[in-house]
Amino acid sequence: MAWTLALPELVLALCGLAILLIGVLPKRDTFFPMAMAVTGSLLLAAVLVLGQQEGVALNGLYVADSFSSFMKVLALIGAALGLLLALDYNTRERLNRFEYPVLVLFATLGMMVMISANDLMSVYLGLELLSLPLYVMAAFDRDAGRSAEAGLKYFVLGALASGLLLYGASLVYGFAGTTNFDRLAAAFAAQEGVSPGVVVGLVFVMAGLAFKISAVPFHMWTPDVYEGAPTPVTAFFAAAPKVAALALLARVLLGPFADLAAQWQQVVVLISIASMLLGAFAAIGQRNLKRLMAYSSIGHVGYALMGLAVVSDVGLRGLIVYIAIYVFMNIGAFAVLVAMRRSGRAVEQVEDLAGLGRTDPAMALWMAVFMFSMAGIPPLAGFFGKLYVFLAAVQGGYWTLAVIGVLTSVVAAYYYLRIVKVMYFDQPPEAALERAPPSLSVVMATTGLFNLAFCLFPAPMLAAAGIAAAALLG
Amino acid sequence: MTQPLLADYFPILVFLAIAGGIALAMVGGSLLLARQKPDPEKLSAYECGFEPFDDTRRRFDVRFYLVAILFIIFDLEVAFLFPWAVALGDIGWFGFWSMMAFLGVLTIGFIYEWRKGALDWE
Amino acid sequence: MDGFLASPAGVLVITVAQTLALLVPVLIAVAYLTWAERKVLAAIQLRKGPNVVGPFGLLQPFADAIKMLMKETVIPSGANRLLFIMAPMLTFLLAMVAWAVIPVQDGWAIADINVGILYLFAISSLGVYGIIIAGWASNSKYAFLGALRSAAQMVSYEVSIGFVIVTVLLCVGSLNLTQIVRAQESVWFFIPLFPMFVIFFISALAETNRAPFDLPEGESELVAGFFVEYSSMSFALFFLGEYANMILMSALATILFLGGWLPPINAEPFTWIPGFVWFALKVALCLFVFIWARATFPRYRYDQLMRLGWKVFLPFSLFWLVLTAGVLKLTGWLPA
Repeated sequence: MAWTLALPELVLALCGLAILLIGVLPKRDTFFPMAMAVTGSLLLAAVLVLGQQEGVALNGLYVADSFSSFMKVLALIGAALGLLLALDYNTRERLNRFEYPVLVLFATLGMMVMISANDLMSVYLGLELLSLPLYVMAAFDRDAGRSAEAGLKYFVLGALASGLLLYGASLVYGFAGTTNFDRLAAAFAAQEGVSPGVVVGLVFVMAGLAFKISAVPFHMWTPDVYEGAPTPVTAFFAAAPKVAALALLARVLLGPFADLAAQWQQVVVLISIASMLLGAFAAIGQRNLKRLMAYSSIGHVGYALMGLAVVSDVGLRGLIVYIAIYVFMNIGAFAVLVAMRRSGRAVEQVEDLAGLGRTDPAMALWMAVFMFSMAGIPPLAGFFGKLYVFLAAVQGGYWTLAVIGVLTSVVAAYYYLRIVKVMYFDQPPEAALERAPPSLSVVMATTGLFNLAFCLFPAPMLAAAGIAAAALLG
Repeated sequence: MTQPLLADYFPILVFLAIAGGIALAMVGGSLLLARQKPDPEKLSAYECGFEPFDDTRRRFDVRFYLVAILFIIFDLEVAFLFPWAVALGDIGWFGFWSMMAFLGVLTIGFIYEWRKGALDWE
Repeated sequence: MDGFLASPAGVLVITVAQTLALLVPVLIAVAYLTWAERKVLAAIQLRKGPNVVGPFGLLQPFADAIKMLMKETVIPSGANRLLFIMAPMLTFLLAMVAWAVIPVQDGWAIADINVGILYLFAISSLGVYGIIIAGWASNSKYAFLGALRSAAQMVSYEVSIGFVIVTVLLCVGSLNLTQIVRAQESVWFFIPLFPMFVIFFISALAETNRAPFDLPEGESELVAGFFVEYSSMSFALFFLGEYANMILMSALATILFLGGWLPPINAEPFTWIPGFVWFALKVALCLFVFIWARATFPRYRYDQLMRLGWKVFLPFSLFWLVLTAGVLKLTGWLPA
């Protein structure tokens, strides 16, 4: 039995159950200690992932390799940082129920299962384990109408996407005779041509996964859910689950369906272009920062998918680097959003940032760093993320993709820079924003420094991403 | 009658037909034999002597939904237990502990809902 | 003659005959259960009970039936007519159909299917539909509330019944009802599994909406609950269905715990009596306890009822199930 290979997941699951049990027993509020316990569990899981051996376990349902280790550590960091963002906010907004960290933990467990999935069954299992906590988290502020609405919208559309995925998986199973990735890959490699049933199934599977990464045309839920959900929840949505879903998409397409690249490549190219365009243009008119970030995340997913669309090891490495940098930019920017309070109330309009450069220079500086980084301005990390996917596109001869990428970056830079302009050049209103609590300042500083320092020390991450990409393409 | 497995179920079909026939005969017989003399007062819904003053189709206590959902969870658990119980002699300790892990997870969920008051009915 | 019996038509004729041979006694038993209940209740309360119609009131059930038959069928103006008529029929139908798999003696089960206990579990779960449909179709507040309460009550106790059945299955290793009885040749299961027998019996009371769990009908608060709007034969069908379900649950208790058709001692004078008589005696004993409980206990409150089901029976039966599985596994007594 090679079940010890899945030790990180098993330990995390046991921690989750134990924390749920310990948290519910005392009558008083246990939000903070349980959040700390969950953070500890996530870190423990990250350590276990780093020490993990490679191989396939649990009757071929589970695979561990460099790619999964890299993505899992990234997802775990994203989840832990996302949880830190909630500490202060949830206490102030009276959302300090201990279920919140437990939901984060189980969602993260779902991500890890997704990343390590080696079978369509474990794909679905991980996806549901991720989605169900997310639905609850979106509606976590259950007394607020828009949060409940966000949760319900997300649930209804998410259930539809899960249904699509499951339908596609059943088609693939019906036409290929197996759900195991290795056997699927062997089957497709052996036969000449593909049956249309498999292609239809593959498209459905892709649609289901595209929903999770909110790529166009499955993005409709994103702005409403991002706006309605409590801000720390939005921060969590925007970072870690995207990592897991992109990793899963890459593994599914480049693993079992690698020989069908001719079939799915066009689809990924189209999704990528559409996402980049929508992300760039739809965000321009947004005044609500959370909606703006929603469209921005759609655009970023478009860039990341560009790395997948070119089907090469350079492209995959670009995708991995992009998503890693995206997590740090995004968590940082959301740390600023979470910290935005005026006279005890959370605010989230672009104008609310006016004059931040004078009232709170530190926060304004970090926000500027994140915005420049997202716009892809050198020498910040975001520039390198874009650089590697564009390079891969150029090397692969996908000029259209690269040109559209550059043009949409320029358009997107407009709204990122507008935020910087509002912070430094607009008149502050009478009441300044409150000081950020220490936990948020720490997150801002850490992620901000990462964005600043990436250009000095890019080698370790590039090397790790290269190994991870090589592991997947084998 | 070619398939023995389906043949086993044939008597159930006969039972269904005969029991349905009896039920129909009883209701139909009463309709035929008894004198039907409806009037509006007789046909209005019973409400302690009042005129029924609003519709029945309205919201009712959410706890009934909760009971229904809890029932589905535990009834599914029972559905998993049936084949396990019958095959326990053949599936060894691995099978035993697999089900124990499943029951353990469910028990933690049960403790959670207990502490959260989902089982209270004041 | 042999040729005809083997042909499809012959099989049909035989099956119909078998069905009638079982259903008619069951219906008569249901009729006399109503009489027996009144007699027993009367005896417990030092009254005489029905004693006018026939000797010892023995013709009373027939008098009641004829009275019901001659009554007007009232369908309330706000009701969903089709559903309203269907609901009592469904209840009655399910209570009858379940009997198809009951082995009253070794090899006498009319449909000896290999998943008999699952079939019974499924049919008894469907029983809640008749009640919900009746409560909804009546379009009356009392009926609706009664139906909701009844449904919640029935599903709550069904979970415990499920666990109890699984525990018995652990000791048998088969879903076939005949096999379950045969497995009790050395010892009836109510001895080793006594706590589960108690839980099963109490849950059966709740499942059939009998006192002390007759809240759905609660005359004093819900004026008979889900069938307040029913009259005439539709009402009679509910009534028959309820009593048929009582007999069915007693038969199930007999099969699962009391050794079915087996005699108490496998020795000379006892083995002379045929199996189905033992079966009937055991069922009658269970039914007596049903009526005895009605005469003895006051009605439960609804919160007490739910607490008993979810907070006492469910955890305890789950614990006992795990215990049984563990003990059987450790000692190697599991049926292969």
